[in-house]
Amino acid sequence: MLLRSWPQRTNNTVRLLLRGIHDERWPGWEVVIGIETHAQIKSQHKLFSNSPTPALKDAPNTSVTPFDVAFPGTLPSLNQECVDLALRTAVALNADIQPRSSFDRKHYFYPDLPAGYQITQHYEPIAVGGTVALTNRNSAIRINQIQLEQDTAKTTFDPRTRTSSIDLNRAGSALMEIVTEPDIRSPEEAGMYVRTLQSILRAVGASDGNMETGSLRCDVNVSINRAGEPLGTRCEIKNLNSVKFMQSAILYEIERHRALYVQGATVQQETRGFNQDTFETFPMRSKEDAPDYRYMPDPNLGVLLLPPQRIERIRRTLPELPWATRARLIEVHGLSEKDADVLLAEEMALAYFNQVCVDGRNPRLVFNWMIHELLGRLHSANLAFSDNPITSRQLGEVVDLVQSGMITGASGKLLLRDMLASPSASISVAERARSLSLLSDPTLDLDKLCLAAITALPSEATAFQTGANKNVLNKILGWVIRESKGRVDTEKARERLAALLEGH
Amino acid sequence: MRANVTCFTRRISSWRQAIQQNNAAINAFVYVSPPSPPRPESKLPLDGLAVAVKDMICTKDMPTTSSSVMLKDFTPPFDATIVRLLREAGADLVGKVNCDEFGMGSLNIHSAHGPVINPFQTSNPVSREQPERRSAGGSSGGSAAAVAAGMCYAYVICTILSTFLLTKQCIRCLLCPPNANKRFRWGVISFADSLDCVGIMAKTVSATRHIFNTLNAYDAQDPTSVNEESRRIASRQAVRAWSGSSLSDLKIGIPQEYFPRELAPQVSGPVRDTIAALKSRGATVVPVSLPTTPYALSAYYVISSAEASSNMARYDGVEYGMRVASKNDDHFPNTAARYAVTRTAGFGSEVQKRILLGTYALSAEAFDNYFLQAQRVRQLIKDDFNRIFRIPDVLGYSETTELLTNNDEGVDVLIHPSAMRTAPRLDDIPTAESLDAYVQDVLTVPASLAGLPALSVPLQRDSDEWPVGVSVVGQWGTDETVLRVGHFIESLQ
Repeated sequence: MLLRSWPQRTNNTVRLLLRGIHDERWPGWEVVIGIETHAQIKSQHKLFSNSPTPALKDAPNTSVTPFDVAFPGTLPSLNQECVDLALRTAVALNADIQPRSSFDRKHYFYPDLPAGYQITQHYEPIAVGGTVALTNRNSAIRINQIQLEQDTAKTTFDPRTRTSSIDLNRAGSALMEIVTEPDIRSPEEAGMYVRTLQSILRAVGASDGNMETGSLRCDVNVSINRAGEPLGTRCEIKNLNSVKFMQSAILYEIERHRALYVQGATVQQETRGFNQDTFETFPMRSKEDAPDYRYMPDPNLGVLLLPPQRIERIRRTLPELPWATRARLIEVHGLSEKDADVLLAEEMALAYFNQVCVDGRNPRLVFNWMIHELLGRLHSANLAFSDNPITSRQLGEVVDLVQSGMITGASGKLLLRDMLASPSASISVAERARSLSLLSDPTLDLDKLCLAAITALPSEATAFQTGANKNVLNKILGWVIRESKGRVDTEKARERLAALLEGH
Repeated sequence: MRANVTCFTRRISSWRQAIQQNNAAINAFVYVSPPSPPRPESKLPLDGLAVAVKDMICTKDMPTTSSSVMLKDFTPPFDATIVRLLREAGADLVGKVNCDEFGMGSLNIHSAHGPVINPFQTSNPVSREQPERRSAGGSSGGSAAAVAAGMCYAYVICTILSTFLLTKQCIRCLLCPPNANKRFRWGVISFADSLDCVGIMAKTVSATRHIFNTLNAYDAQDPTSVNEESRRIASRQAVRAWSGSSLSDLKIGIPQEYFPRELAPQVSGPVRDTIAALKSRGATVVPVSLPTTPYALSAYYVISSAEASSNMARYDGVEYGMRVASKNDDHFPNTAARYAVTRTAGFGSEVQKRILLGTYALSAEAFDNYFLQAQRVRQLIKDDFNRIFRIPDVLGYSETTELLTNNDEGVDVLIHPSAMRTAPRLDDIPTAESLDAYVQDVLTVPASLAGLPALSVPLQRDSDEWPVGVSVVGQWGTDETVLRVGHFIESLQ
């Protein structure tokens, strides 16, 4: 039980075996990185109280119960929804869920910690081990452990008035701490690990994984050593809140360590912060100043027993995981690797894609309309995918109209542009196409139009017929399309034009 | 101390009269509630009975100070579960009673409200002229003294079992075992969570039982306790082992370690007489051994202090409670240094001492040798008890499907003296440096560490002698057995 001490975080033998990546930026040096992420659990209530998990927009100190403020006489009561979400994460990361885990108090004095301790899982975490597979790497990143813990309150310091304000909304919200083994070898791999982890957390619904809003935060351990030599001294950089900052901080540390070693100096083991303005790290506290957290088993919470049936139920209800989705997109839907990654990178895009594909629509076609047309237009208007006003059903209808030949591809683009400019749920897509006169006209005489075009552009027609310039066909085709207001099928028109010009 | 001597539209209960008359001398009450407005008689089980609660139990309409300067003006925003249950059962909550600061003490001398004076006086001529100032025990001295002085029908206190039994002089008490019923502890200010429990004190065993059963019945409506099923199994097992109707099939264990040479003869005599009387009425009495007993006291102080140091960390003056304002020229190297100003002023010396001890016990260098070692001793003590009781520890089996079987050789209850000597004189209280104050706990600590129900029953003495208590201890979940044995002891007198 609690008597077991936690195995050393860094297993040197394994670390030595995993080396050997050569990087041109620092020839002769090896980089060793481990990442500790704190992910806010997307539960309705906090970890040990029935206070709702606060939203960012909530006014300060409104989502708080007496327990969250550590009023005397209050007791914790474990919220099983948080446990289930941690279990979903653990299953998704192939971690070894512990049939028995427990909670401990980590003590330190700080205004963002009303009880003077944080309840965490120091001695017996909910899951140990696990892996995160990265697409561009042969071996997976190993996970050391996953633990449940309370988030702290938020303090903001106003340098002008020299006062700190405390917002207790976040105090006691549920966090998962996910710790890797020191398996990461470059800033790029670190970024990829975090992005992959984000996609997993989102897929299982355990966390928003959003670094900008603080629902995912990273601490990074970095050390470097000369190839073939023992590991260097590591430094920890705290509270990195974007992938870009994390990669910059790692780069800065690598160069700092290298400069010290080259001079014959040593690296001090310490905790450092990252300055977002200068993109530099700075010392926060040395190893000697490291606090003694006086971990103590929480006497109120007892042990958390997880019978196999409960884990099995989680396993059964787990949605498709990102790597399985990726394989499905490539193998079943015929998307390229790049296209699959585009879909996976955009939050909510995958669910949207799946919805549009539901009625047996051609996935490649759907992908083209969704990514190249819809997302492209959104991005050029500086909008995120979450701002998309067009429902998956509406996009599906656009694709259907095009595929059935009711409208041409060009008309489809016009239609989509109009839908984005004046979104409406009440006008059906077909109606809108009709009102814009985009519907293909079956009475439209293609031959007549083509002949008119040839007559209108005689020199171009001759150029094509003599073979002097075959590309000039596009110009004639353009005339046809313009004249038909986009209602002709481009390919058919091209074929017909060519046939007429070549005298068939 | 605030006395409310306004004109009452309702008949002032005899308890409230006793409070008015005697509290100044005894210092039991630290807050007296205004009498509730008259209302029609109800059929509620505790209708009109005066019940007081220890000042560590949260009440939203009365200050709850834990006898600490730190919470001097603190009124909680909620009622403790136990307080809600008492109100629902119709009890008249007469006020809050004195205790050692945050429950840390054995004599109720470490209180921001001053010490509690034992209301008992012997009938010998000397003490009639010059009353003796003796301790009423701790940490719930106020409750004990007030029950003895007829200030109320019963008290509900929260405490660590050991200190609870010590508060034995002329009172009875029954405890719900620690942690067995977490709901009962909601709203009870923590000293050491793994040892804290809610207890009841009343003048007779039947009054104790009345309160206990009433609260238990009300609480059973709340289905959140995971231990309810275990509790049912345990009481079924207990009834099967001893029906409770006569002493003839009761097996009593007398733990030999609880009669050390240091035991005062004024204590050991009456206890032995009681055991002999039970035996003459048909009970089987066997000697038993609890060999880990000598290590219990050290383990208890390490664990309780460690948990106390953790629980006291919340008192930093930020969200509630006392705060010493900082001066303009104050410069603090870190947050802890800023808090230290408030904590130094807000905590009394005993609490500070235990925080320091507990903080050390949890530090990286001491954790294995102190905290973990104490937890191992605690397990050995539980094993000691499980070996000698007839029925098994239901909690210990909850994780397995193993069948519960009774140990036919085992005993139903243990009986032993509640303390080493009679109530100490307040003037003789050992100095802060002495260990004597802690040794008083030695007989009550093991049951506390094992989380067992215990009852202390006062023995009838001649009027010139100070009272002596005898403790009845049962297996986890056998509160009813313990109460019945208490009844038999009471009826002997």
